[in-house]
Amino acid sequence: MAKDVVCGKEIDEDQARAQSSQTSFGASEVDPTQGTRIFHDGQWLYFCGLDCRGKFLASPETYLA
Amino acid sequence: MDFGYTSDQQDLRQQIQAFMDENVTQGLLDEMEGGEEGGRGPQYRELVKKVADKGWIGISWPKEYGGQSGSRIDQYIVEEEFMRRGIAVGGAGSGAPAILAAGTEEQKEFFIPGMIRGEIIFALGFTEPQAGADLAGLQCRAVRDGDDFVINGQKMYTSAAHYASHIYMMCRTDPDAPRHRGISIFLVPMDTPGITVRPLWTIQSDPPAPPGTTYGMVRTNETFFENVRIPASSMLGEENGGWYVGAMGLNLDRVGASRYLISVRRDEDIVNWVKENDFNGYSPADNPAVRDKLAEMWTEAQVCRLMTMRSMSLVNRDGNFTYEGSAEKVWAPEHGVKTTEAISQMLGPYAQLLSNSEENIEDGLFAHNLMGSFQSGINHGSVQIMRDQMARRGLGMPRG
Repeated sequence: MAKDVVCGKEIDEDQARAQSSQTSFGASEVDPTQGTRIFHDGQWLYFCGLDCRGKFLASPETYLA
Repeated sequence: MDFGYTSDQQDLRQQIQAFMDENVTQGLLDEMEGGEEGGRGPQYRELVKKVADKGWIGISWPKEYGGQSGSRIDQYIVEEEFMRRGIAVGGAGSGAPAILAAGTEEQKEFFIPGMIRGEIIFALGFTEPQAGADLAGLQCRAVRDGDDFVINGQKMYTSAAHYASHIYMMCRTDPDAPRHRGISIFLVPMDTPGITVRPLWTIQSDPPAPPGTTYGMVRTNETFFENVRIPASSMLGEENGGWYVGAMGLNLDRVGASRYLISVRRDEDIVNWVKENDFNGYSPADNPAVRDKLAEMWTEAQVCRLMTMRSMSLVNRDGNFTYEGSAEKVWAPEHGVKTTEAISQMLGPYAQLLSNSEENIEDGLFAHNLMGSFQSGINHGSVQIMRDQMARRGLGMPRG
């Protein structure tokens, strides 16, 4: 499990990345309720949603300290 | 100088209108309200095939790639007539201009005919969570590995990702270069392993916006790239030269009916409605304040149309223009906002009734436009960025 560094909620990385459906041209779709992520300094960080990710992006050093 | 159309162009317009009367069915319009395929379901694809068979897609694109090497004005007429019905076909906003300008022969021979057949649709992968208006701050990385590149990162507001066959994306290929010089563009199939699409539902999704709504998309997406391996031949233009290819492509994509009609359709919709309807027991067409406002909006709309015609004329002659697309991208959205505000004043509370309200007007079109019109000043380059481009490229001012 990963931890949302903003709110502290635990995020299941496998669920956040798991295919829930497929687009008409074969791209994998994920369940939006399982959280989001960002590739930051060479690693994926997971968040419960866009709000927490937005706060992180506004001040990464605050949350990675 | 003649701002009119030739008789052949007028004939073309009439042919298209007759075609649409026959082929744009209520079933198609209902399908276009759906979100899962972005309105591009089976009936839409069938329509595109018929339009392609008519030779109406990419009229101005070169014959050797399946186009007709025809007039950009003819192509504009196709785009305009279809967009009046809320249907995007014809070639505008497709990514094709950048491929034609910067692509390899192999890329042109693969992508352009596929786009004409409606089999290739691009999602635009420029914006990132931390890089939108400041696009040069993008961080999605593409690292060379032999004859391949490996992409890691994410793109935001990839609105077509759920129905696109490919994504036209910017990646950072040299993190040590100055921001604008370490970027390359790649054309990536959406079914490449490692790509995942996360749906984001928009303000227009519940209830769904009716077809023809300004920025009426019910869904957008964020798209993740995790160790996505692609051949180096997927690169469009030169390595680390993607900023300039992307800017040129965006500018060319802004030329055409989409920008003009995104706001001017609002004027046409309200004028038609006012002429054809009674409202609370009186004819709004008899109201001097309504007539005055509509005339004012119509005049502004003609400015927008002339700007569009000038851009297309420039493209037709040498394919090179600098600030004109940016100027249109300021005028049209801001005019659209003014129009929707004016319509709200004319229609009062009825302008706020959405598509699921039994007492709405025109299936809630004006209410959904009210929400979408503000979006048009942000998407595809905000009006603030456009003004900055005009100051630099049009007026010769230094970068701010």
